[in-house]
Amino acid sequence: MVTAGRLSYRRYRIEIRPAPDLVRLPPRFRVEVKKHRLIGLVLEELVRYRGDLPVVLSRPCVYGVFSRPIGGLAPKEELCVGCLRCTVQYPDVVQIYPNPERERLGDSYLKPAHVDTLLYEARTGHVPVRGAGYRGPFGGAGWDGMWTDMSEIVRPTRDGIHGREFISTAVDIGEKPALLAFDERGEPVGTVPKVITIQVPFLFDRPPRSARPRLLLEILVRAAQEIETLAMVPVDLVVRFDLAGPHVVPVVEEETWRWLVQLAWSPRMIAIEGWDRERLAELERRFPESILCARVPMDSDVLDLVRQGARVLHLTADYHGRRNGRFVMDLIRQAHQRLVDAGVREEVTLIGSGGIVMAEHVPKAIICGLDAVALDTALWVALQARFAGECRNPETALVSFPRLEPAWGIQRLKNLAASWRDQLLEVLGAMGLREVRRLRGELGRCMFQAELEREAFAEVDGYRADA
Amino acid sequence: MLTRRASEQSIIRKHEEALHQGYRRWPTLDFGLPPAMGDERWPAELILATWLQAETGRPPANGLEYRVGRSGGGFDALDFRFLPPEQQLPESEPVDTSIPLNRRPGDRAVEIPIPWYGGGMSFGSVSEQIMLARAKAAKEWRTFTSTGEGGYPESLVPYRDHVITQIATGMFGVREETIQWAPIIEFKYAQGAKPGLGGHLLGDKATVAVARMRESVPWVSLFSPFPFHSVYSVEDHKKHIDWVRTINPEALISVKVSTPTDIDMVAVGSYYAGAHIIHIDGGYGGTGAAPEIAKKNIAMPIELALPRVHRFLLQEGIRDEVVIMASGGIRTAYDIAKAIALGADGCVLGTTELVALGCTRCGNCERGRGCPFGLTTTDPELSQLVDPDWGAERLSRLYASFQAQLRDILRRLGLRSVRELRGRIDLLVYRKPGDSDEWANVVGSGQAR
Ligand code: SF4
Ligand code: SF4
Repeated sequence: MVTAGRLSYRRYRIEIRPAPDLVRLPPRFRVEVKKHRLIGLVLEELVRYRGDLPVVLSRPCVYGVFSRPIGGLAPKEELCVGCLRCTVQYPDVVQIYPNPERERLGDSYLKPAHVDTLLYEARTGHVPVRGAGYRGPFGGAGWDGMWTDMSEIVRPTRDGIHGREFISTAVDIGEKPALLAFDERGEPVGTVPKVITIQVPFLFDRPPRSARPRLLLEILVRAAQEIETLAMVPVDLVVRFDLAGPHVVPVVEEETWRWLVQLAWSPRMIAIEGWDRERLAELERRFPESILCARVPMDSDVLDLVRQGARVLHLTADYHGRRNGRFVMDLIRQAHQRLVDAGVREEVTLIGSGGIVMAEHVPKAIICGLDAVALDTALWVALQARFAGECRNPETALVSFPRLEPAWGIQRLKNLAASWRDQLLEVLGAMGLREVRRLRGELGRCMFQAELEREAFAEVDGYRADA
Repeated sequence: MLTRRASEQSIIRKHEEALHQGYRRWPTLDFGLPPAMGDERWPAELILATWLQAETGRPPANGLEYRVGRSGGGFDALDFRFLPPEQQLPESEPVDTSIPLNRRPGDRAVEIPIPWYGGGMSFGSVSEQIMLARAKAAKEWRTFTSTGEGGYPESLVPYRDHVITQIATGMFGVREETIQWAPIIEFKYAQGAKPGLGGHLLGDKATVAVARMRESVPWVSLFSPFPFHSVYSVEDHKKHIDWVRTINPEALISVKVSTPTDIDMVAVGSYYAGAHIIHIDGGYGGTGAAPEIAKKNIAMPIELALPRVHRFLLQEGIRDEVVIMASGGIRTAYDIAKAIALGADGCVLGTTELVALGCTRCGNCERGRGCPFGLTTTDPELSQLVDPDWGAERLSRLYASFQAQLRDILRRLGLRSVRELRGRIDLLVYRKPGDSDEWANVVGSGQAR
């Protein structure tokens, strides 16, 4: 990074620190011990091992669930990792159950397993690593039906994540004219590039209407600043909570338009809900330095909007990644392809949001054609938010947060961002790509289940491509 | 002191005995299915069925599903189009399950009587006891097991005719003599579970013995970088092969790769570099530790890669000069047969063998002292839970069950040799679970045939 005045280099990294959960989660497993059987077992072993107490009292669990003072009579469920050794050894004494309380986390899209992963990432800042192979379904709908590529013999790869070779995760948001024009004095005329570089290809979307407390917004803004990305905040709240700063993107809606007059500083980017040429023109007059971003539904005719002058579009879907029944993966591909076909893709920035809840969704969405993604529900889960029912519609979703502590919240979001960035490095490294910018729209570096199956199983009796 | 050691031994024996009993008792279903066991790829039934096969040498007869998992696709959505009973081969008809591991004229002929061998699991990622159990079973069945990238414990030397030496990017444990001993040398370019990411042995597992074997420092994490930093082309790869064959001209060369979009080109390149075996490891394969993002999202499953490679090699006219071994999610005898029908010559087993030895697929291999069942650990106490002879017998019985099922499948398809099954995609039928009632009979009932 080159700073004004003097040349200095700082390698981008996000500081991680443990940030334990504020709200204790229910244990993953229930450990049910039949106490009378346990006592019977101990007595039996006392006889069998002739009172050799170390042998009799030695327990099957190596994670301390049956540790002192009274071992199996009061198992420490929170330590159970579900290895099942105890129940394999003593099926009539102990049974292990998945804890149904854990099943209530998240909703039908952001499932309990996703919540688990997000909380781990926010707690530690680490990449989730586990033993044994993949455990889930074969592909699936949505993002699960897409695999990213790898390359057998190219660099940089794992070197990237260990810092020996640099893989850039920075992306540019803004207007990028295809050609520059100059006057006779050599000064550029007409549209000149106007971009913001963010260090990670994700920014923070505004919270749902039901949950916009000051503390939450401050945490989002401060975390965005420390991560060197952007936080979108409703303009009225920007003003009321005095949230000025280069990492704040005020979002203006019809009903909050009047708050703009009180915006006493010039944001680097302003987002406007919906497409309104007049309003955009007025914004441009009032904030000539700012990049303007129009938030439009993901199934909008992007080419038409670009022809009307849009240069930064934020394509939105609901929190489950749907827009009029279609999933974001297909909608992003469609939008990207339209712009590619018209030869204008390089001049436009596409941001997208909705249904991007796991680290792997970021590179997948970028491969489908986004420049950057705006994160929503994943951020709130990282802050241990609970959903009341389905968290799907940004207008009506009910999301509640625990009592937030600013330093904790900022660290949780930094940890999440660090973990997601490291996972992005894993994906880029496996492909041998040195920068995430090169991933955008690289459909040749991914595989879609439907297409691969069509190729592999076309001759298999009973296979239907449309199934 | 002596008493303490005696107690320690008694403790180990006590748990070992209880575990062995558990492996026998759970598959009886007297306690139902363990509620917290299993996942879509390895449902509890399949784990218990594998334990049972390792105990009895036969597929279950009590209704336990032993052929497919519940992943909803790939092998789990494929079945065979068996002939009507009157056209099937009779029991008395001999059926050949052997495959060659070299198809290149002029080089050494190696044949294995069953179309699979054991995949690489390094000393460090698993205990010496596990390596030994696998090597003993390989010898018994005249097939192979692989060192993985962790060297060659002394105890394996008597089994060296059945041990593949793996050379991976960290070169851990690779010595001149381990190359000279090996009937097959395996170059590991990538691993399906973490394609493009290299290997990582956590510091906790790098015990003094492991570090000595790997010529490194104890208790320090070890990384196998990705890729081979000296290989950027097919020509570079050939240089590697030439180097190894200078040391051991008799060795067959296997090249282990993952499943990128251009796996067909990779396979052809490996062939032209001189490989006898192209070992394709699909994305859903096993590992001692890998980032979750890699296991699920990077590279394609083996079921989808095999037809692509098989067809391309056919088009190039070289299919009969190279052996394709498939791995990465091969769990059952049915998976083996399906992989062969999709275009492989044979398969490489990993997780299945660990399940036969007691793995519950809990995913805690990298946590703390390592596997609590004594499998993926180097903990001196835990690793004693597996006696190599006991382990070898279990693997042998699993192999026997698999071979019997494979013969049964071939008879019902009217084939006299597993070699005839290769690439016979026309013998498969696609049935997405829930497609029809018929599927419920084929997959859901779990009735042993
Ligand atoms: S399942 Fe494993 S971790 Fe849980 S109590 Fe039993 S032995 Fe301990
Ligand atoms: S810890 Fe042991 S039982 Fe659990 S998945 Fe790993 S090898 Fe299997």
